[in-house]
Amino acid sequence: MSASYDAIVIGAGHNGLVAAAYLARSGLRVVVLERRRVVGGAAATEELFPGFRFDTGAHRLGRLHPALVKDLELARHGLELAWANPSVLTPLPDGRYLSLWREPDAAADSIAAFSSADAEKWDAFTGLVAQVASVLKAVHGSLPPRVPDGPARDLATLIRLAGGLRRLGKKEMIEVLRVLPMSLEELLAEWFETDGLKGTLAAAGIVGMCHGPMSSGTAYMLFHHHVGCAAGALRPLQRARGGLGSLTRTLAAAAGAYGVEIRTGADVGRIVTSNASVLGVTLANGDEVRARLILSSAGPGTTFLRLLDPSRLDRDFVQDVSNVRYRGATAKVHLALGELPRFGGVPAGGEHLSGAISISPSLEYLERASDAAKYGTVSGEPYLEAVIPSISDPSMAPPGHHSMSVLVQYAPYHLREGTWDAARREALGDLVVQTLARYAPKLPASILHRHVLTPLDLEREFGLQEGSIYHGEMTLDRLYFMRPVAGWARYRTPVDGLYLCGAGAHPGGGVTGYPGYNAARRVLADSRGSRH
Amino acid sequence: MPPYDAIVIGGGHNGLTNAAYLARAGRKVLVLERRHLTGGSTVTEEVYPGFKYSVCSYVVSLLRQEIIRDLELARHGLEILPLESTFTPLPNGDHLARWSDHDKTRSELYRHSPRDAEAYDDFGRLMYRMAVAVKPILSMIPPDPTSLSLKELKGLLRLGRHFRSLGRKDFASLYRLLTMSSADYLEEWFETEPLIATMSASGIIGTFLGPRSPGTAYVQLHHYMGEIDGVFRAWGFPRGGTGSVANAIAAAAVRLGAEIRTNAAVGQLMVRNGRAVGVALESGEEIRAPVVVSGLDPKRTFLGLVDREDLPDDFVLAIERYRMRGSSGKVNLALGELPDFKCLPGAGPHLRGAISISPSVDYLERAYDDAKYGQFSRRPFMDVIIPSVIDPGMAPAGSHVMSIFVQYAPYAINGGWNDARREAFGDAVVSTLAEYAPNLKEAILHRQVVTPADLEDTYGLTEGNIFHGELTLQQLFFLRPATPWANYRTPVPGLYQCGSGSHPGGGITGGPGLLAARRILADTKGGGR
Repeated sequence: MSASYDAIVIGAGHNGLVAAAYLARSGLRVVVLERRRVVGGAAATEELFPGFRFDTGAHRLGRLHPALVKDLELARHGLELAWANPSVLTPLPDGRYLSLWREPDAAADSIAAFSSADAEKWDAFTGLVAQVASVLKAVHGSLPPRVPDGPARDLATLIRLAGGLRRLGKKEMIEVLRVLPMSLEELLAEWFETDGLKGTLAAAGIVGMCHGPMSSGTAYMLFHHHVGCAAGALRPLQRARGGLGSLTRTLAAAAGAYGVEIRTGADVGRIVTSNASVLGVTLANGDEVRARLILSSAGPGTTFLRLLDPSRLDRDFVQDVSNVRYRGATAKVHLALGELPRFGGVPAGGEHLSGAISISPSLEYLERASDAAKYGTVSGEPYLEAVIPSISDPSMAPPGHHSMSVLVQYAPYHLREGTWDAARREALGDLVVQTLARYAPKLPASILHRHVLTPLDLEREFGLQEGSIYHGEMTLDRLYFMRPVAGWARYRTPVDGLYLCGAGAHPGGGVTGYPGYNAARRVLADSRGSRH
Repeated sequence: MPPYDAIVIGGGHNGLTNAAYLARAGRKVLVLERRHLTGGSTVTEEVYPGFKYSVCSYVVSLLRQEIIRDLELARHGLEILPLESTFTPLPNGDHLARWSDHDKTRSELYRHSPRDAEAYDDFGRLMYRMAVAVKPILSMIPPDPTSLSLKELKGLLRLGRHFRSLGRKDFASLYRLLTMSSADYLEEWFETEPLIATMSASGIIGTFLGPRSPGTAYVQLHHYMGEIDGVFRAWGFPRGGTGSVANAIAAAAVRLGAEIRTNAAVGQLMVRNGRAVGVALESGEEIRAPVVVSGLDPKRTFLGLVDREDLPDDFVLAIERYRMRGSSGKVNLALGELPDFKCLPGAGPHLRGAISISPSVDYLERAYDDAKYGQFSRRPFMDVIIPSVIDPGMAPAGSHVMSIFVQYAPYAINGGWNDARREAFGDAVVSTLAEYAPNLKEAILHRQVVTPADLEDTYGLTEGNIFHGELTLQQLFFLRPATPWANYRTPVPGLYQCGSGSHPGGGITGGPGLLAARRILADTKGGGR
């Protein structure tokens, strides 16, 4: 069987669907090929146990590209978004807790219980985050320039960005440049003294990284995750009614309305090329699909080293792609609960627990957790971010019951001894439950079911290479004009007609749709003939 | 009319370099040094009779050729003896040695990994290109990126043109060096663990980071900038110890007309009508000059010598935030005999170079972990040299001196540094080294342990930071020590900075001293009097 389209999108994750929808919206015949039986990739909601629904991969919908929801009429297709409040609750070992409410005054009140000096700085700090994020927003929305010797129009991009930076004011401009390469520890030490607050803010920057908060370059991720978010609230948590999978479900519906064909259970085995141009793909079952354009939302390693034949690519390019580091250190544990957990002195009921629950008593706690991963072992006291979406969304669990998803760090993909087998998977699940039990002692007794995804499971289940949730590390050396590799940060690839549209491309990971959106625009611009 | 055109505070190598260049341009210069001898941390001291220690910094390679040439340092007694090897003993009884002899290194690397032996030369060539690429940046007065003045824009344009000239590939390599960890960078090239560890160790020297922390690849490159007779990555030992470097510069300065006063501790900068007009010594004596140059670190200069009211609040905040966490110490030993390494017994040529205790990246990371949580490394990274082997004048006949640079020793150690912790630190160093050279303990005649607190107390290095501030991205170039005061000027007209806390940073380079002199001479054209 052979079918022909204008464009094939590999992978029905949120970025693939966004790219497909935009291409079809411009009149292209598009097919999306998805290996799994469901769409959504790592942004999917699945019923793991009868009645209990979980965001199996990502559970955090930070901020979507602002154009998406409107352009693709996602609301009409059923997407309902809401911000959790509080954004995050941090229970502490002594029973006290910190709540970062969306209202800055309320957050400051909670902080004031620990330090009035910190509370007084809250406004200024959220202002700094908003300012840096506003600069990054312009960067994220633009095509990375070819440096250092790009044509004049690339220089114009840089000058425009520099102009935006300059408009902040001299002092502010320097402040943005100064804080970007810092470690979270350096950044937060300039502002705060409360351990729980520093730990909770630092945690925003370490998710998906193998580094700890004392490593240079980690502050960037704190800012990255606040791009496009309303000023004043830190670690904001956006929810979609029905789970994160509603986003990809409505994206699929929108794409379908534009005529996109979505095939699940379609595992792409090979990208077929001729004279360094794409011809189409062959599926694992032998089927062929032809198109003049291919957009891969898979990571750079998968795309270039597995789906293509690396021996037919430029040697330096292959070397550069091989040097992309993944080193996933994130795992996921899903718990079906018979009742709502009680955390230390946190008032009963769902309100306080309706955002993220962060096990981050101090920045040092996070750093120690990262130490273990350095040596290829699982930290005995991991960082955890738990969410209980069923509190605000009853469709996620049977009445009176709750579904809880826990992100775990650091659990390294590369173990020094052994591999991620069933025993280690269960040990990880036990560790997470024990860690939570230190703050919520009755939680273990209320667990009805448990589902553990190790970094290896994340790779097998969602195709995340080495379990890297961002399709490659988000360190300073792999951002912007360096993502995924120098010279190829503009979605195009050395193979004519092949584009990247996933998190491995600029501006990287998170459920944002930016890479898919930017890539689609790039493809459309190229199709119109301005091929530069 | 004041008797001096310029006063330089601090007789470290940068202060002396600055003074020498100002004197060379005909300015009347006075150098004021708090201690009884010049050199700052570039010093040789006879701590025990007959045993001369390079107490702090212990090797040179980064000193700029032009300074050696301009100031005729060879004529003033500077003689650099080459260090011909880097020897890494291993716990398993093996070792890794690299020699100045290319073929010898190649066959040694081949023994560990043929692949690494092949990659080594390519890597060296890349580093050479990168060092060449960085050099013009290290040689320029940093522009102020916030300024739209023609002069500053010209500087930025020049920088842009320089990057453009590198081309995409080398630019990407340079950018990666600036942002990656040294271990990650090296692991792209090599597979031999002790090779990666020993090379990455040069990326952690003086920093409060581990080899897996991003940012350390730059520090590693920083250490590649060395040039002796134009040979990159050649480290040497000055005959007579590092103090000879400072002594030669001091001699040159004096010959050029500079005056040097020791035992002259500056207590305060004198400011009249918003301008620096001189200094007041701790003794109460006042000395006037229209230009005052500080070779001290930014915290000592601005938070110690200048009245807070004479500085803008923003600037004070920036200097307060400037990070200087010291992370290293020194142990200097007087030895009755040479150490005998289990893995390479005898007094071979491996004792004539650097000896690096860096068996693996994990080893270095574990050493760092201790420091992160406020302890000295129980099993530290050490960079050891035995100066008396190459320069017998450093110790009495038949005896030896050994210089051990140790990391990590955090300034902010839990409970604070005291005599007991200093000795415990010394014990950890000696025991770790004795695991490789068991005769060491018996051979020790005297032991001097220098903690970060000692570096602060005796040598004026705030928090014991040997670079006058960490070499992290946010503290480099136009951000060092704070924008827009990275051009050696300060918020107080007439006051300049010439120490390692300004661009291009730490190490015995003379760079800050030289560039600051250029700035001062340009600002005070016409003689300044």
